[in-house]
Amino acid sequence: MKTVRDVLVRLLGRQRRAGHRRHRTSRLASLAPQPSTRWLVALALLAPAALAGAVVGTPSPAKAADPVIFTVGLTGDVDSFNPFLGFEANSYEMWALTYDYMVGYSMNDMSPKPDLATKWETSDDGKTWTFDIRSGVKWSDGVPLTANDIAYTYNRVITERVAGNNWSSYLSNVDSVTAPDDTHLVLQLSKPNATLPLLPIPIVPEHIWKNVDEKALKTYAAEPTGGQPVVGSGPFRLVEGTAGGSTYKFEANKDYWGGAPHVDQVVYQVYKTTDPMVQALIKGEIDFAEGITPLQVEALQDEPGISAHNGISPLFEEIGFNTGAIDTDTGQPIGDGNPALLDPKFRHALGYAVDTAQIVKTAYQGAAEPATTIVPTAYSKWHYEPTDEEKLTFDLDKAGAELDAAGYKLGSDGKRTMPDGSPIGKLRLFARSEEKPSVDTMDLFKEWLGQLGIDSEVTAMDSSTLGDKILEGTYDAFQWDWYVEPDPDGILADFTCDSRGGLSDSWYCDAGYDAMYAQQKQETDEATRVDTVMKMQQQLYDDSPYIVTAYTGIGEAVRNDRFACFQPQPDPGGVWLIQYGARNYTLLRPAKDAGDCDGVTTALGVAKEPGKSSESSSTLTYVVGGALLAVLLIGGGIVLIRRRSTAADRE
Amino acid sequence: MTTTAAHTISARTLARRRRTDAFRRNWRIFRTNRAGLLGLGLLVFFILVAVFAGLLVDSDDLSLTSAPGGVLEPPSSEYWLGTDDSGRPILSLLIYGARISLFVGLLATLMAMVIGTSIGLASGFLEGWPAAVLFRLTEWFLVIPFLPLALILATVLGRGLFNIALVIGVTSWPATALLIRSQTLTIKERPYLERARLLGASKWQQVTGHVLPNVTPMIFANTTLTVAVAILTETTLSFLGLGDPTRVSWGTMLEGAFSVGAITTGAWWYIVPPGVCVVLVVLAFTLVGQALEAVFNPRLRSR
Amino acid sequence: MSNVIASAPTQPVARPRSYARYVGTKVLGALGSLMFVLVVNFFLFRVLPGDPARTLGRGRLKSAEDIAEFQREYGLNEPLPRQFITYLHNTLTGNLGDSLRYRVPVSELILDRLWPTLLLVGTSTVLAMVIGVWLGVHSAWKRGGKFDKGSTGSTLVLYSMPEWWLGLLLIAVLAVGIGPFRGIFPTGGLHSTGVDPSSVEGVLDTAKHLTLPVLTLTLAYLAEYSLVMRSSLLDELGEDYITTARAKGLRDVVVRRRHAVRNALLPTTTVSAINIGFVVGGAITIETVFSIPGLGLLSQEALSIPDYWVLQGTFLVASAGVIVANLLVNLFYGLLDPRVRT
Repeated sequence: MKTVRDVLVRLLGRQRRAGHRRHRTSRLASLAPQPSTRWLVALALLAPAALAGAVVGTPSPAKAADPVIFTVGLTGDVDSFNPFLGFEANSYEMWALTYDYMVGYSMNDMSPKPDLATKWETSDDGKTWTFDIRSGVKWSDGVPLTANDIAYTYNRVITERVAGNNWSSYLSNVDSVTAPDDTHLVLQLSKPNATLPLLPIPIVPEHIWKNVDEKALKTYAAEPTGGQPVVGSGPFRLVEGTAGGSTYKFEANKDYWGGAPHVDQVVYQVYKTTDPMVQALIKGEIDFAEGITPLQVEALQDEPGISAHNGISPLFEEIGFNTGAIDTDTGQPIGDGNPALLDPKFRHALGYAVDTAQIVKTAYQGAAEPATTIVPTAYSKWHYEPTDEEKLTFDLDKAGAELDAAGYKLGSDGKRTMPDGSPIGKLRLFARSEEKPSVDTMDLFKEWLGQLGIDSEVTAMDSSTLGDKILEGTYDAFQWDWYVEPDPDGILADFTCDSRGGLSDSWYCDAGYDAMYAQQKQETDEATRVDTVMKMQQQLYDDSPYIVTAYTGIGEAVRNDRFACFQPQPDPGGVWLIQYGARNYTLLRPAKDAGDCDGVTTALGVAKEPGKSSESSSTLTYVVGGALLAVLLIGGGIVLIRRRSTAADRE
Repeated sequence: MTTTAAHTISARTLARRRRTDAFRRNWRIFRTNRAGLLGLGLLVFFILVAVFAGLLVDSDDLSLTSAPGGVLEPPSSEYWLGTDDSGRPILSLLIYGARISLFVGLLATLMAMVIGTSIGLASGFLEGWPAAVLFRLTEWFLVIPFLPLALILATVLGRGLFNIALVIGVTSWPATALLIRSQTLTIKERPYLERARLLGASKWQQVTGHVLPNVTPMIFANTTLTVAVAILTETTLSFLGLGDPTRVSWGTMLEGAFSVGAITTGAWWYIVPPGVCVVLVVLAFTLVGQALEAVFNPRLRSR
Repeated sequence: MSNVIASAPTQPVARPRSYARYVGTKVLGALGSLMFVLVVNFFLFRVLPGDPARTLGRGRLKSAEDIAEFQREYGLNEPLPRQFITYLHNTLTGNLGDSLRYRVPVSELILDRLWPTLLLVGTSTVLAMVIGVWLGVHSAWKRGGKFDKGSTGSTLVLYSMPEWWLGLLLIAVLAVGIGPFRGIFPTGGLHSTGVDPSSVEGVLDTAKHLTLPVLTLTLAYLAEYSLVMRSSLLDELGEDYITTARAKGLRDVVVRRRHAVRNALLPTTTVSAINIGFVVGGAITIETVFSIPGLGLLSQEALSIPDYWVLQGTFLVASAGVIVANLLVNLFYGLLDPRVRT
């Protein structure tokens, strides 16, 4: 293809031979390509390029100079800055920056740690909890933070519907919350609640929020208004940003009780997809990329000045079965789940036909751990590791043998049948279309089932449609994931009989399991509770309402030449950024100030040499941009000069 | 001159001979259009590839459990176009993808042409308010932004090859209808149609006997161009995540490449080949379509 | 992309009416289209699968009364006709509802996201028209020459390309860089952090971010304008009056300027009217690839909930945009060519 320049030159040559004359034309004819319009066209062609050249010459905004800005790239946006309304994961992170919690999280295994509360004790019957609240904490507008604010927040959660949507489950069985004085908080329960003190409820200032009544709360944005940042007590405060926007700007709270942050600003930038975000990291437009793919993590290993990893996160992926959907009012079965799946032996046998190692390799490109039970290994205290005899290994022969033993024998056509001889039929496997690993997992499962003599078909659909299907019971198996909280009660509850029709997507129901659940929920002795929780996991592993396939992580990458002191959670091996609590934000600092990272030896970038700077690439930017601009200007100049000379010819 | 007895030819034979003559004539004209020949050649190539995909590709290559290669391997002598993020050879995926892309494109076009031609004929040929209503309907449909409508329909209907084809068909018919309508309007004024009317032909007879045959060449040319659009649309819908993820098409390959971060990992063999295939096929249909238009509309010739 | 390449629709000949009457008809037609869009808009999204209460509740709205309360708040369980009346009344008074996901008014969301899309789409369309027309005219004038062949060939290839794939390639080459050449443009987004968008530096920064997206869309769209312009100009050049003008001895350029191009320009305007609907679609894919926070992304995200009011609002804005653009083009067309005012 000819270059634009060639085209222009040839065109001009032709024009000269034809011998034009400038001509006064009507307004309409001026639409045709006269010389003045050629100007326009030339300008149209050259202007964007020249402009681009000009702006390319503009240096990228400096990062290391005052103020210190830590820029984070996210792939999901914030749905609300109001802690009572939002539910996106990234929204939780924004609340953690702005507000404090009464009880915090250990960096090792997310177990409870003092935050606003310095210590706490329980009565012997477990029905009274008393928290000592630290003094001297101030809200960002100077008003002191006391136990009254905590009581106010928790009472709204207990008494109001909207405020309780996100949080009331953490205060279950709590009858009253009182603050006998500014530094004490008392919870009075009707029955013991073993999940306490897990209280991820952000504490909001009473003097601000008392002006937002229950009705107004439904649309209260909690965003900066009139240039005033949001009032909070956390390490940062939101100065610019709105739900649904793509940039959120936080300023450091220099008076933070936990120590002033070492950066002046944290700015979040939302990207629709990961590739541009990773490129932005490489070019230095952002400092941290959150939620990148395993392949990108791998590609970044060779990149100077960047650290990338797949951080452990308490997530698990599963293949879930329809163990018996019923109408919760009448108890009658609904939907059309395959009857074979009602039998735990059938489901358990299928567990031997799932190669979790292959799933990790093929669907997750190696960035995951083969999984066993529903409590991820990140929670070392609560995770149950099956014994060697119990473990579901990938063994198609064993799967076949177990199926035979349970009565699901191979028929004459090579397909397995029910114990009574009727065909099993086709299992309908559902994957979530927006996640390729989900589809890959089910495709793999289908192939393994085929090798066992069981027919199946994979359908991909979006999550909300799939959710509806699950509630109607018109499925056999699906692929999904769960994020497990520091206390296992949440995930265990999803297998109780009461959760059916709600959060339970396996329709599992067992009286023995329910009894254990009720028992652990009120168990005041931790050792006993751990024991019960282990037994529950063991039962679920045996009955297999889920086959847990992988514990996945979250891909993260950071410019280690700019920032350092990222402590992982869980420590070691966990994620650097989106954690329980915002401790890591007060720890991180510019790389040149790393030092020993306040004694956290496992932090990323501790006492490390700053990596090669990215100055070289911006120099190249200057050179190329300047050269481009010069070429365009010269080329444009030539065009104009030749034009002018032909005009002289013409006249 | 001929004697009537010895050289009586039946009307049907005459018509058939006229048609073969016309076909040969048109083919000769088509042949002079080099671009059209190039397009035809490309088309034949891709159709053959799609049809014989089963013979060209070992079915193991598409399976996830027995995916032969490593993750995102660059092109080598073993895998000419490298592998994807699950270890499957890209070349094999491309070949199978041709099937899906062509199938959806053709099916969607069939729907669009049937709807578009019917409505176009009706709104051009009929008088009074039925025609006006249909015309308004066509115009209104054109006003609705195409891709948002397609996205919504695709979400409603769910994933699946047939659904995607339906979505594309239902959103692509207005342009065809407009074209057919204006052609019909022109033909309506022609003298032989008036003669037919005077002779008592019913509306249906007029349409099928006279209008349709004269519009058919236009339909033919337009179909080819519509397929081009349909294939592009399928690729776009798949890229945006609305394709059938359990099937490999060029669009889903590009979606996979994008979501897995192929640009960062430098896996150009995952991004470039599917796009090139789309460009070639769409170009082929476009060139053939333009050549066909030149054949049937003499004024467009020798361009 | 439309397939109306080579032939512009022919108009039956009749006596032209006055321009004022023409304007009136066209405006009425536009209003009619708008009404149609309003109706379609409402019912289209009610058909979407998924229950927003459940999607947004996600386990928090546990009891049936919680879900009922949510539905009552947003009027989701009223009978459809009643909802429709409310919707009509609200829309015509400018109230586009609240976003179910973000809990802010939809009109606010749209206004925030409107200008990036307008900037992107507007600039590209103008550039594409100007360059495309220029290319088409020069191809037609020396038909069969090297310029014609080169230009037609490359525009055909561009025409056959998915515009977002072109965008991906441009990112790979110009933003990421190949081999030793580092890319010089940003890979996405609209602003660099730390730059005030309203300052001079900020404006240049925004322009820098928009360069690749605008380049992509321009390249994708100029093909059609170029091809239509070329073929309609070739049509015109075959007309009798051109031969007459040449015979009269007028120079090529005058002939071209005064007569042919002006007449040939008209089908181009028709094409551009049809195209505007596709331009909105193009914005969606480009916004996805380049992460531009515009209307396209907003409506895509809203599909998964489904966030009814956001979807209705964006769809309405897009359709209204197309109707208005069509109206303007028709009015312009009527001004240029009286034959059309039948």
